[in-house]
Amino acid sequence: TDKNRKYAPSFVVLLCEKEKNMKRIITNPESSASGAKKRRREKEEEEVGCGHAENEDGGISSEDQCLLHPLEDELTFSDTSVALRMMRAQFPRIDQALVPPFILQSQLYSSVNDRTQVDRELECLRREKVVRVFKLNTGQDDHGIIFMDDYLNQVDGIAKRMEEKKQSDVEVFEWFKGHVLDSKLEPSIGHDELCSLLSLAGKVKDSHITLLINAGLVTRQLMDPNMYWFAIPSIGKLWKGLLQGRKELLSLLKRKRHKEMFLAELERKRLRYSPLDMRFHIRDLIGSGHLKTFSTTSGLVVRVSRD
Amino acid sequence: MWEAIQGRETGRVRSNSFVNQFKSRRILSLQLSNRKDFVSPHRGSVNSLQADLTEGRYLLSGASDGSAAVFDIQRATEYEASGLIAKHKCIFTVDKQHENGHKYAISSAIWYPIDTGLFVTGSYDHYIKVWDTNTAQAVVDFKMPGKVYRTAMSSLAMSHTLIAAGTEDVQVRLCDIASGAFSHTLSGHRDGVMSVEWSTSSEWVLYTGGCDGAIRFWDIRRAGCFRVLDQSVTQLGVRPPVLKHTAVSSKKSAKSSSGAQNRLKSLQSKHTGSQIIKGSYSAKASVEKSRQKRLHPGMLSTLDRATAHYGAVTGLKATNDGMYLLSAGSDSRIRLWDTESGCNTLLNFETGRIQTNKAIQLATSDDPALVFVPCMKTVKAFGMWSGKTRLMFRGHYESVNCCCFNSTDQELYTGGADRQILVWSPGGTMEGEMVQDEVAEDKDNWSD
Repeated sequence: TDKNRKYAPSFVVLLCEKEKNMKRIITNPESSASGAKKRRREKEEEEVGCGHAENEDGGISSEDQCLLHPLEDELTFSDTSVALRMMRAQFPRIDQALVPPFILQSQLYSSVNDRTQVDRELECLRREKVVRVFKLNTGQDDHGIIFMDDYLNQVDGIAKRMEEKKQSDVEVFEWFKGHVLDSKLEPSIGHDELCSLLSLAGKVKDSHITLLINAGLVTRQLMDPNMYWFAIPSIGKLWKGLLQGRKELLSLLKRKRHKEMFLAELERKRLRYSPLDMRFHIRDLIGSGHLKTFSTTSGLVVRVSRD
Repeated sequence: MWEAIQGRETGRVRSNSFVNQFKSRRILSLQLSNRKDFVSPHRGSVNSLQADLTEGRYLLSGASDGSAAVFDIQRATEYEASGLIAKHKCIFTVDKQHENGHKYAISSAIWYPIDTGLFVTGSYDHYIKVWDTNTAQAVVDFKMPGKVYRTAMSSLAMSHTLIAAGTEDVQVRLCDIASGAFSHTLSGHRDGVMSVEWSTSSEWVLYTGGCDGAIRFWDIRRAGCFRVLDQSVTQLGVRPPVLKHTAVSSKKSAKSSSGAQNRLKSLQSKHTGSQIIKGSYSAKASVEKSRQKRLHPGMLSTLDRATAHYGAVTGLKATNDGMYLLSAGSDSRIRLWDTESGCNTLLNFETGRIQTNKAIQLATSDDPALVFVPCMKTVKAFGMWSGKTRLMFRGHYESVNCCCFNSTDQELYTGGADRQILVWSPGGTMEGEMVQDEVAEDKDNWSD
């Protein structure tokens, strides 16, 4: 058995997940078209595991990510929940304590081929309370998707911080988590419904609602004074970064002569005004229809779509 | 093609499927027609197109310069290029020079559904005029409280000749041609009503879409609307078979009715001025009951603030079988609703951007089930059950406002802000279709 172990192939030896990836690519030179697809699927499955490993490590830098998992290879997925988990793992690690990783619905549209399937699977996930959908007020039809566990952790974090500041009425966060989030799955809620749901737990006062608004968990609707949107707390900086990043990326491409660029090259650029990384924005703009991809002999090319 | 005819002859292919195969092949090859052209007399953007419902022979168009024109679809007025291109000039037009013509833009021009003797135009000058086609005179005038966005008449109506008018005003008015007066006023919307559409399954049901984003279903024999569509009430696709549906609907109706009651009670307790809402409502039950009596049961729907779109509803189209309703919104989304259950079927149509400030007219075709949607400068045809783009029609120089599908000839007519009415007809000639599957491609027949 010792002899066998001496001649065992090297990839059986325990290596870290990243290196295993690279080894497998090198030792598979005979990659045909179907082989490439299989490789992509294998990589996807490994990357789910990779994602978890990275989470524990504290994340690798985005440059490493570019080299190891180029966006071209993982642009589309087969399933919405796989896509959601992958993108959550790739969410950039800025202000991690304050903002939970969110995924935009337009990113899902660019990641799964069939949009109707995305909508329906998302609806199922929402009904099962695995994810929560929020409407972001960017002026366009943007929805942010957050995993329920992340959101509940977030609410707990806010409650703790408020307690430390010796705020009164902190019990409203527990009521919010227990009664409102559980029963109201839509992105908006009326004032009376909010009060009635909170009153199932205890006596509701206006100061409770004020505290919720101050914490950023609900915001008033502009169109209707009695309706609130559920909101992602502390999202201001990222929201601004999202809008500016979109503009910057589009102007970057529009300045080119033919308004197009290779995806691999675009991915390596850095955005100056957005803390969110380039992949986030690329996926978002492809999904909302501002950018189009098409394949060429040298890889995928991204072009600004004319109407 | 010959094989298909042979199959029909021997009875292998049924007549309906033979016709449908032929028609769907033609529809999927629609392209800008190089044989037919409408010479548009309009000096403003074309806002509305409709082919008449009796024979499909006459096309009525309404434009922003206050002119309405009628074209003959089947017979050309002159031929160019030695008989190859058919030019269709308008038969007559009524415009601002006409003594009773509209003064501002015509937003909607529709035929009287029974015959082509009358047509109805609605305009931004607050008037709805009913015209006699043969004499080109306005016979009846209705004055509306605001700009008229859309008019509609029911094609199924046996016992009424009501014109439904959606205006800037929050109330939808039904005008009766026979008596010359308003017969109904439907209140419930909280902003102007941009689109109205009669149901294709019942002559009494009207669908209206407002600038507040709500779509309401009205039965004109009762007071108030009987349904408000909510985009968060969803079903996954086609309605499930009966057993599952009754279980789901009873749960849904129980939840919705209790939800409505709770909302109603809490609204009324809010009105009484108390800030602290107690968990039990027993103390206020007597006060609430008396307040509840003040609201007519038909008016309870005004308290329902569900929205179908995150912006204004700019277009409505009911499918011909009466089972589904398509709605276009200024949030650039097209939604497909099940009219019986009132649920959003969660179909996602890959529209890029849709015109947000003006109403658009959608068109549907039955087989293959396609939806034609004007998206800015192009018209896109989506498969109704997949949501994917099947065809894209690029030809207009400015944004497209309206489209009309003629299913007898498989032609699509589109009108846009560039004042043109374009015809899209199936590509290929008759000989090409007959011969296509006969000549096998000779792969050795090539040369450098």
